[in-house]
Formats: sequence, structure tokens, C-alpha cells
Amino acid sequence: MRRILIPVVMVVVVALLVWAGVHNLRSRRVAMQQAQQAQVTVQKDSDAMPEGAVTADLKGKAAPGFTLLDLSGKKVSLADYKGKPVVVNFWATYCGPCQLEMPWFQEFTKKYADKDLVVLGIDDEDGVTKEAVAKAAGKLGVTYPILFAEGKVGANYGVGDYLPVTVYVGKDGSVVAQTPGAPSKDEMEANIRKAIGL
Amino acid sequence: MKRQGTGNREQGLGKLAAIAALVVSLCLFARAQDIQFGEKRAPAGKGHVSYAPEVAEVNAGKASVVELRFRVDEGFHVNSHNPSSEMLIPTALKLEPAVGVKVLGEEYPKGMAFKLAGETLDVYQGEFRVRLRVIAPKGPSTLTGGLRYQACDNAACFPPRTVAVSVVVTGK
Repeated sequence: MRRILIPVVMVVVVALLVWAGVHNLRSRRVAMQQAQQAQVTVQKDSDAMPEGAVTADLKGKAAPGFTLLDLSGKKVSLADYKGKPVVVNFWATYCGPCQLEMPWFQEFTKKYADKDLVVLGIDDEDGVTKEAVAKAAGKLGVTYPILFAEGKVGANYGVGDYLPVTVYVGKDGSVVAQTPGAPSKDEMEANIRKAIGL
Repeated sequence: MKRQGTGNREQGLGKLAAIAALVVSLCLFARAQDIQFGEKRAPAGKGHVSYAPEVAEVNAGKASVVELRFRVDEGFHVNSHNPSSEMLIPTALKLEPAVGVKVLGEEYPKGMAFKLAGETLDVYQGEFRVRLRVIAPKGPSTLTGGLRYQACDNAACFPPRTVAVSVVVTGK
């Protein structure tokens, strides 16, 4: 009895220790990968998008019209840019990833100026002053129109709590891409080229 | 003599079984700790930050420290109390005036560096604790308020939110 029981107990103990070690190692590897991911990349992982990142899928549909005020108090409508490729970018002053991607939009407005690319930034947050928005835009070197969200414009574009959300509108006025979260610069340019029709 | 030998063997086997049971228990305990943090917490929900309700015992009438514990959901971060940019919203505690207990000060933890494409943010991730220096009278007093924060993942952000805070400070 003892001859059998002792080896069995030892095998069980060793197996449990090995299992605990392997489990611990796996957990550490996962934690390390997550830490590296957080340190290295800001590109969104579409699988990790929270549920409800956008509340409406607009792809292939006509971009909802709007008329909003810009920083100088001038009315700006989507209809003003009929026949041009338009990027509509919803952002907020508190949003780090928004601040990361806005200079890229600025860069692409210059790169594709000969293709009539238009970028419209729509600040979508509560309780912010016009001065704070102007200061943030200035600090980011943004010169494209910055508008203030009003009424249902955000909801019409599927914007919930998750910012940024960017909608790429083709020359025919239909949505060619809709991206919640900051994309990679390459992905952003690919969507811009889609909107231009390249 | 033989009976004594059998008894020793049984004792030996008993010890082995006890050691095995202990090892099994330790492994299961370690596994259980991985699954749940074992703390009663207000649900984070869509807010991505939860608060562990506190009951603190302090020396009545003497300055004491009470810790408030918060946890940021995995994959998210909130700005520290001293964010890297003036445009970012700091994590900050706002307590309601309480009867009896006096709050002398708040101490926030240092943030950790979070690199965002060349920019280094100062954030809290996982668990973080805000320390309160208080003087409480004898008996229980309740401090209530909220922690305002603004959460992001590595690609997008949520609007600023406030998680309710309540701590019972009992002076002994």
C-alpha cells in the first residue's frame, strides 16, 4: 500500500507544482505582452473595440448633413463641400489619441490639397470653452476648420462616448469608411485615398 | 514492535497526505487569486474605474492615514493627479464636508509612464490608492464624495466621469 501511495502522492505534488509554474509563466507572459502593447503602440485593435464604440454603421450611406459654427462663429455646412472628399473627425480636448492623430490630418490636407481634400474637426464634449478648443487646436498645429458639435450631429454620425470617431466621405457624398479610435497613420491615409477615389 | 512500525508508517503517510493537501490548497488559492481579486468593489461598469468601499479604524483625536483603493479596468488607464499636459483631465478626489471627521490632506500616488507614439503620459493603471490624512472623533463617521477621472484605452478616450466614494472612519 505504502509503496504505491508514496509515489502517487509525489507524482500528484510534482504535477501540481509544474502546473502552478506553467500557469504562473503563462500569466507573466500575457502580462508582459500587454505591457509591451501599451508601451509600443497606439493603433487600435479592432477586436478590442468596446461594444458601442460607434452607435450606427454609416458605411455606404449618405453622410448626414450638418451646419455648425466654427471657432470664429461662422456657419459651416457639409453641403459647402459637395463634390469634394471630406474627412469628418469627432474629437475632444481631453482625448490623447485624438491629439495624436490630428497633426496627421493636418499633414494629409497639405499632401492631398491638389485632390481637394477637406478635413473638418468637430469638437464633441460638454462644458468646454471656445478658448480651450482654440488653444488645443493651435497647440496641435491644426489649421483646418474646427467646428462645435450641436444637437444630434454626433448621434447622426454614430458617435457615442468613445472618441475619436472619424468618417471618410467620398466625392459622391457617401461614407467610404468609419473608424472609431485612432488608426495607424497608414490606415488613415488608406481611408483618405478611398475617399478621394485613388 | 511490528504494530509500532505500522503506526510510524501510518504517521508518515498521514504527514505526506497533509503536505499534499497543503500544496493542493496553496495551488488552488493561487489560482483563485488570479481569477478574482477577492475584494468587494463597486462595479466598474462602463466607467472603467471601480472603488473598494472602505471601513477604517483610527486612533480617535489623532492624525491618521486612511487609504482609498481604486482599480482601473485592464487595458485602460486614467490620467494621474498630475497629468503630462494641461489639456488632460487630472484624477482628483472631491469629498463632501463631514460631521466630526476632519480631512487634513490628500496624497495621490505617482503616476506611471505610458508611451503614446512618442508622447509620454503620466497615468494610473491597475490598482492605485489615494491616502487621506484625517482626524476622527470616537465612533463611526462617514466620508463621502467622488473621484473624478478620465479613462482611455490605447486608441480612444471616454468622457470624464466620477465614481462615488464612501469610507466609514471609526475612531477608537
